[in-house]
Amino acid sequence: MGNTYHKECKLKDGSVVLLRPLVAEDREGLTSFFQSLPEELRLYLRHDVTDANIIKSWTENINYDHIFPILAFAGERIVGDVSLHRIHFGWKRHIGTVRVVVDPEYHHKGLGTLLIHEIVELASEFGLEKLWAELPLEMPAAIAVFRKAGFSSKAVVEGLVKDLHGRNTDVVIMVCDIGTQYDF
Amino acid sequence: MKIAFISDIHSNLEALRAVLVEIDKENISLIVNLGDLVGYNASPKECVELVKQRQIMSILGNHDRAAIELKFAEGFNILAYQALIWSAKSLAPEHKRFLEDLEHTRILWDRYLLFHGAPGNPDAYLSFLFQAKKAFNYMRKKTPGVRIAFFGHTHHRAVWQRDVRGKVSRLEMSQDDLLLDPEQMYLINPGSVGQPRQRQWQASYLIFSNEPETIRFRSVAYDLHSAQAKIREAQLPEYLAERLETGV
Repeated sequence: MGNTYHKECKLKDGSVVLLRPLVAEDREGLTSFFQSLPEELRLYLRHDVTDANIIKSWTENINYDHIFPILAFAGERIVGDVSLHRIHFGWKRHIGTVRVVVDPEYHHKGLGTLLIHEIVELASEFGLEKLWAELPLEMPAAIAVFRKAGFSSKAVVEGLVKDLHGRNTDVVIMVCDIGTQYDF
Repeated sequence: MKIAFISDIHSNLEALRAVLVEIDKENISLIVNLGDLVGYNASPKECVELVKQRQIMSILGNHDRAAIELKFAEGFNILAYQALIWSAKSLAPEHKRFLEDLEHTRILWDRYLLFHGAPGNPDAYLSFLFQAKKAFNYMRKKTPGVRIAFFGHTHHRAVWQRDVRGKVSRLEMSQDDLLLDPEQMYLINPGSVGQPRQRQWQASYLIFSNEPETIRFRSVAYDLHSAQAKIREAQLPEYLAERLETGV
């Protein structure tokens, strides 16, 4: 699934971002995006995104059936990255996992909520029933963004994960029931 | 008298033609399209022309509205949005005028309520018990005397029933005729012609007879590969072609 389709969206401050799926040509822009993130936003990421080879590997191995990444652009610059991760077999085949990172300059403009909403809508198109997200308890703003997009907290696991510096941190498990997002 | 109900054609000309061939084999008095004639697939103008030519009574769907008023398309996800932009470019002014003239809710013969998503709202879904209860409450308040409603939007076949005590339940699906109880209320979804989502790819529709009131769900195979080829030729997202085969 790969071509140049895209969608323009307006943020709370009136600025416009363009959303489109990640393509191989985004390697340089995505590397710059992740390398420019302050350390506090990289504390809990699953990969060392400052390593250009990690980004190279992502952009060279795009498989939308397993990971559907959407980038948000302000002009030519990447300002947000959200991805939907799917497993096609087994007891979690109906569940997608969401990961999102937003440029600090674009915090509090509704971009995080917009990106997560986009994934909720896409998950419905892919026939998924639930979405799953794991967030550090000490990031209440991020938890609030997921809550706004329809997720609710299901559990807190104390001291489960370690941040970049090896400190143990509590994790909140949040779940979105996709079907009930479409109420009237 | 028999009525054929079709819904969510979504620009799938091959599926629509196959369904009409089957409908034409029966003694059908009226064909009703419950909305979303366009969007997702690659034959929007051909589907509008065929529905016009066959004088199929139609209801406005959320994709139909977004294709004629693009500000509504912004609320759709990136896949659906792309198909809507493409549909809007493909439709000629006369096709758009046809869609503009459609109503989102209609009452047929003072007896049957027709809507796309939920009564009065083509965007809303009717998938869960609480939503069915709301729809029945709407009918009791706003359309007293109407016991049966037909809707689409979810791409899933469904029959909801409200008994005389007010208990709402979803009935099991069957390929056999289902006799409707004259004392009870019903919400009935025929499934989708052009993008079924029940893990099977065949085009879905429904035959309703009014004396006595019975329904029968039907499905028919169509030229899937041709529909997929058109999506690819139009350079719409590949997933839209793949999903037709898997019924997602």
